[in-house]
Amino acid sequence: MDAVAGIEVTGVRRAFGSVLAVDHIDLQARPGEVTALIGPNGAGKTTLLLMLATLLAPDEGSIRIAGIDPVTAPREVRAQIGWMPDGFGTWDALTVREVLETVGAAYRMAPVPARARAAELLELVHLGDLADRPARVLSRGQKQRLGLARALVHHPSVLLLDEPASGLDPRSRIELRDILRQLAACGATLLVSSHILTELQEIADRAVIVAGGRSVATQDLSSDSGPGVGGHRVSQWRVASLDQPRLMAALAHHGVPTRLLADAVDVAVAGDLAASELLAVLVGDGIPITAFAPSYGALETAYLAATEDRK
Amino acid sequence: MRLPVSLKGVRTIAVLELRQRLRTSRWPVVLGIWFLIIGAVAGLTWWAVHDQPGDRGATLYDVVLFFVLGLGMLVVPSLTATSINGDRERGVLATLQTTLLTSADIVVGKLVAAWAISLAFLLAASPFLVWAWVAGGVEVGRVLLALAVLVFVLAVVCALGLMFSTLTARTISSAVLTYLTVAALTFGTVIAFLLSIPIMETQQSVRVKALPDSWYQEHQPTEGNSFVEPTAADCVFVTREQPIIHTERTWWLLALNPFVVVADAAPSRKPLTYLGFEPLQMISDGARTARMGPTPPMSDPLNECLFASQPNPGEGDGFEQQQQVQRERLSRVHAVWPYGLVFLGVIGAGSAMVAVRRLRTPIRRLPRGTRIA
Repeated sequence: MDAVAGIEVTGVRRAFGSVLAVDHIDLQARPGEVTALIGPNGAGKTTLLLMLATLLAPDEGSIRIAGIDPVTAPREVRAQIGWMPDGFGTWDALTVREVLETVGAAYRMAPVPARARAAELLELVHLGDLADRPARVLSRGQKQRLGLARALVHHPSVLLLDEPASGLDPRSRIELRDILRQLAACGATLLVSSHILTELQEIADRAVIVAGGRSVATQDLSSDSGPGVGGHRVSQWRVASLDQPRLMAALAHHGVPTRLLADAVDVAVAGDLAASELLAVLVGDGIPITAFAPSYGALETAYLAATEDRK
Repeated sequence: MRLPVSLKGVRTIAVLELRQRLRTSRWPVVLGIWFLIIGAVAGLTWWAVHDQPGDRGATLYDVVLFFVLGLGMLVVPSLTATSINGDRERGVLATLQTTLLTSADIVVGKLVAAWAISLAFLLAASPFLVWAWVAGGVEVGRVLLALAVLVFVLAVVCALGLMFSTLTARTISSAVLTYLTVAALTFGTVIAFLLSIPIMETQQSVRVKALPDSWYQEHQPTEGNSFVEPTAADCVFVTREQPIIHTERTWWLLALNPFVVVADAAPSRKPLTYLGFEPLQMISDGARTARMGPTPPMSDPLNECLFASQPNPGEGDGFEQQQQVQRERLSRVHAVWPYGLVFLGVIGAGSAMVAVRRLRTPIRRLPRGTRIA
């Protein structure tokens, strides 16, 4: 188990004086996957990410990033990780392009490759037309995108992103999702902290829920999570109708597993094709459908259950 | 084993620092004001001494360098005293710490940048030093050595400020601590030296050549007789209990003073009778006198008879002669500045090492109030 790629956290604990920020966190993030780290404010997400980013040593427990211990070999770990902190600050007087070139130099890239990489990343995060403006004129969302580009300069194999989507407009969020999925597809390990559940459901393959400094649950988001149907990927869809009793009756008639909510019904279907077929059938039955959308109920339910005892 | 500091890493940080400073702050304005102040001081000094005999250039040089050092001690701490904790506050330190830069790269890079700016201040003052040199009376060697020591002192102050900026979370605290330390070095050492004087005072019997106490009573001007001046022939040797201050035990307090170090590094020696105003020369003489201790050495009798006219006019004025002796003694006394230089070097290197240690990550014990990112 010595050359494990990705992130492995076992029994990590960290206190600041008398304040216990991280009590006991176990976590695994695999290469090629996006792992979400979710939890309420003050759950220890940022502290955990600081430990993963080689800035803070854990009091107890062990961390392995690409098989390397960040406490004993921080330099080797730093070559592997890209860290995007929450509340990203930048050198205000430098232009956007200079920020990325400086970071490239800090990763010991030669000036020419660093310049080429900066141009490439500016294109990726759509900051090309702002490249020669000072970083201080960027909006919060643009700064977040610069922060992401900054974390990617040295082609890291492990990405640690603390609230990457905060401050992003809807279009940028979709682009962020695409970038992250693409990095995962190329084999990178991504750990993304957030508390925007719907978004994580779209991006992440699995979610680790932390509360009160402890990892309380791991929720698989990509593979079968509901009652499996013949190995297909089962997803939850939320259906609303003007005539709920008729909708329930129709669903029961077609043998679809349901969960009744106050103003809608969650149904489990085997994949997107099955979902579109179900919609066609329901419309064909003459049921007045008003909403038919993927439901993020599973993660929400797990999250609420895990963080229930919060004061 | 990899060296903890690399040329590329240091250059990356130094370029980053200088770029930011040149673009955001008002250094051109500050440099302009600095130039005007030094210029005004130089102009006024010249106006005061231009028709005086003696080495006007030396006076100008001394005054200008004295002010450059004094104002430098005010400006230079501001270059580094909020550097690290200021970066922490703006959230740009941690992102550098997670790159391949070492903590020594960051510290040395910031020091090099701050030092380069303090050299720009020195450069802005250089026309007036050249003026002094052109005016004459200053040796090139003296100029260069004093400048080299000055540059070194400024680097030490930069390192001090940088250390304090790693020690406190708030920028205001580190700025205050840096200025207090600089004040302790410039004023504190002198005050401590002065306060040590009563402690170092001992009573000692001294052989003195002096007029007998009864001389004036015996030579009262009588009627018809005009006032009689005492002559050297009237003096006798007496033994007296006299307080002796052993400054040779505490002179090292003065050696810690940056002004003494810079002043004493100036190797030019003139007779003490030279009456030109040369602050650096005076500081240097004072420090060396302190190091020499009570004069004269106990074997020589103290001559209090100098006022008395010499029996042989050919030997010149007695006062001047004694001053010449004193001057020769001073130039024989070992210089004070190498000790101060070593001391300041230890302070500077120690500060830089503390700063490097404080930037080391991953952090195990986080000081109260410090944030990481």
